[in-house]
Amino acid sequence: MKNITQANEYGGSISVKNANLWYGDFQALKDISVEIPEKQVTAFIGPSGCGKSTFLKCFNRMNDLVDGCKIEGEFYVGGTNIYGKIDVNELRKNVGMVFQKPNPFPMSVYDNIAYGPRTFGIRKHADLDEIVEKSLRQAAMWDELKDRLNKSALGLSGGQQQRLCIARSLAANPKILLMDEPTSALDPISTGKIEELMEELKKDITIVIVTHNMQQATRIADKTAFFLLGELVEFGNTDDIFTSPKDERTERYITGRFG
Amino acid sequence: MNKTQIKEKTGQTIFTVAAIICVIAVAAIFVFMLIKSIPAFNKIGLFDFIFGETWAPDRLDNYETSNLSGSYGILKMIVGTLATTVGALLIGGTLGYFTAVFLAFYCPKKLKKIFSSMVNLLAGIPSVVYGFFGIVFLLPLLANFAPNDGSGLLATSLILGIMIMPTVVSLSKTSLEAVPRSYYEGALALGSTHSQAVFGTVTKAAKSGVTASLVLGIGRALGETMAVVMVAGNSVAYPESLFNSFRVLTANIVLEMGYAGEVQQGALVATGVILLVFVLIVNLVFGAISKKAIKGAVEGKSIFSKIFKRNEKTKKTTFWTKCKDKISGFKYKIKTPNIGAGAAICAGVFAGITLLLVIGFIFAKGAPHLFSNPHLLFGEYEFSSKKITILPSIITTLMTVGLSLLISVPIGLCTAIFLNEYAKKNNIFIKIIRGAIDLLNGVPSIVYGLFGMITFVALIGGKSSILAGTLTISIMLLPTIVRSTEESLKSVQDGLREGSFALGAGKMRTIFKIVLPSALPGIMSAIILSMGRVIAESAPFVYTMGSVISATPTGYLDGNATLAVALYQLAGEGWYVNEAYATAVVLIIIVLGLNLLAQLIAGKLNKKLQGDK
Repeated sequence: MKNITQANEYGGSISVKNANLWYGDFQALKDISVEIPEKQVTAFIGPSGCGKSTFLKCFNRMNDLVDGCKIEGEFYVGGTNIYGKIDVNELRKNVGMVFQKPNPFPMSVYDNIAYGPRTFGIRKHADLDEIVEKSLRQAAMWDELKDRLNKSALGLSGGQQQRLCIARSLAANPKILLMDEPTSALDPISTGKIEELMEELKKDITIVIVTHNMQQATRIADKTAFFLLGELVEFGNTDDIFTSPKDERTERYITGRFG
Repeated sequence: MNKTQIKEKTGQTIFTVAAIICVIAVAAIFVFMLIKSIPAFNKIGLFDFIFGETWAPDRLDNYETSNLSGSYGILKMIVGTLATTVGALLIGGTLGYFTAVFLAFYCPKKLKKIFSSMVNLLAGIPSVVYGFFGIVFLLPLLANFAPNDGSGLLATSLILGIMIMPTVVSLSKTSLEAVPRSYYEGALALGSTHSQAVFGTVTKAAKSGVTASLVLGIGRALGETMAVVMVAGNSVAYPESLFNSFRVLTANIVLEMGYAGEVQQGALVATGVILLVFVLIVNLVFGAISKKAIKGAVEGKSIFSKIFKRNEKTKKTTFWTKCKDKISGFKYKIKTPNIGAGAAICAGVFAGITLLLVIGFIFAKGAPHLFSNPHLLFGEYEFSSKKITILPSIITTLMTVGLSLLISVPIGLCTAIFLNEYAKKNNIFIKIIRGAIDLLNGVPSIVYGLFGMITFVALIGGKSSILAGTLTISIMLLPTIVRSTEESLKSVQDGLREGSFALGAGKMRTIFKIVLPSALPGIMSAIILSMGRVIAESAPFVYTMGSVISATPTGYLDGNATLAVALYQLAGEGWYVNEAYATAVVLIIIVLGLNLLAQLIAGKLNKKLQGDK
């Protein structure tokens, strides 16, 4: 464990100033500024194509993989300018991500979880065993999976796969966890388990979640940001956003009049 | 730079270099072909070369003398090539199309798998084996009602037709199966029968895909050498009837290159250039149609219907509109879908029978001889009128397979990785590489042989050697390996890559730990099929590696005949018919074995990747 924590130079807060993003000629994000506090759950809501996922992917620079993507503005993660001269891989180690579709690697449960630590040079069996157990316990899966660590991860159910992906991210001991609609492909019971898990995790790490499900946002999020057509319309405490929105567009969205 | 960054940079450099090697290989082929042929074009004159009716080369002609004493016109062979291509298309295209319909819509589910792999096996059989089958089965059969020994246009069209059929089948089947199921269901919901739905909606929607498969078949027929040489008769003459000896472009090269004089050699390379031009045109048409095919499957339109439309707008009675009338008239005739259904079932059965016939006939004749004559396989080297052994050829073949895979697999793999994992889509360099690989894919095997002869053989002491042949075939394998590897890399979900990157893994780690293992089944079967290809090919070897069955080679600088080339020799000489049968049996066993192995491995690995539930 020590090896990983030592390398950690990023904190858990995110601060963005005047972010603009283009895919080719299309401007997907327009002048967004936001302060995301640490050790809380922040939800991004908004209709499809509003830019919430795009914005999320700026925090671990996954947009770098997209051809023709141009980003402007200041992105600070734990006080570090992440679009400055940094090691992107180091950043992604500290800012974990869980995707909409569970994407376990075609290897054993154990190897899935050990993938991140191994990437950063941890090779000793004892160390890896410890990390795997700790991560699975953190994701509340240890009892479920301890007897099938060497079985292929592809044999798990969809919900288990997604929680395994969360455990896999936790193995790198991140300060921030980004979740891109992590439950949209899952059944209600699996969704419930993941929401419980997030409640537990936010004691130690910052969670930013993109969701289509407004009930989910009200259940789990401390802060909520509403996006529309590439703009950040409103950002504040979840209770305030859902009970007394300041912007008319937010109100129309949360009352189900569009989107 | 830290260790990871150095690793990343090194990896990227290696992948890029591999891609550049591919481009250089293509450029080299074209440049060398041009350098060698331009003097000949100059000396003979382009017009006289293409439209000259007399081919009577004089070995003593050289570029210094002012007047040529020989004649170098290839019109007869151009006509021969076109005629036999049309013949092959009529037979193989029709058969292939209906077999594809059969497989997609009429074949019982249980038989479907067996049938599909049988068609794949047909594609794997070496062309010399087809040629040999032509000599020992087809020609004697045709001779019963032919004025000559049976050789000529009908024989070449039949053999080539069978050879291009698998190509047509597999591509047509893919595009038929890609038609949305809703079309078929929609037709059924309107009260159509199964056959009416198939021939009324599905085949129409798949029209451009089917056309593309036919064009690919044409490309294959144009470039085929050995099988045609063995049954065409090869006199320099027009194919005036179904049964008269004639010659095609590829045959011209393989028959005369071995003892050609200076101008003659130039003229033969120029023949290769003309062949290349034909193949390039076919490739361009194929590219255009395949692009439309994707749209067409949705819109139900083909490139030809657009051409027709354009002509209708201008209201000119052109060749096209006439054709269209003819075609639609013909359509009415076969509108009764039951005839189509019958044709599909017949074609499917015929395809099965053909495979059984080719393999069964050769096995029946060759197997007894193979097993009763251990000397043939395991004996000391001897080559007399009584006894021969093919052990040296088998060893030669193995040496060639081993080294060529060692060369082309790493280069091909790295190029594919570069194209799929590093390249940005619209980069001009990428377009060049992709174009180069597509070009390489279309080049006929005899042209590779020519290239190998004028470069590798010349570089390696002017003598044909296993090394020269191996280098030649290595280039030839590149496009297949690159393309199929790229396909398997593409099929790896992006989610896995994202997952790896999101955990902080770099590109190299993602590629080697996540992407390549997931793509392994496809890559493995591509490698095994490449092995089969090296074993089956003969045209690229004749003038690079030598065609004489000699003693067991002591190293890569020796020349020798591979198994396929040995079969070509044995079949042509007429002395060793039994030995030829036995060699053909060995070839078929190896190639079919590899084919089955490829399917098996792909299946096994796929299962493993899908997880043990």
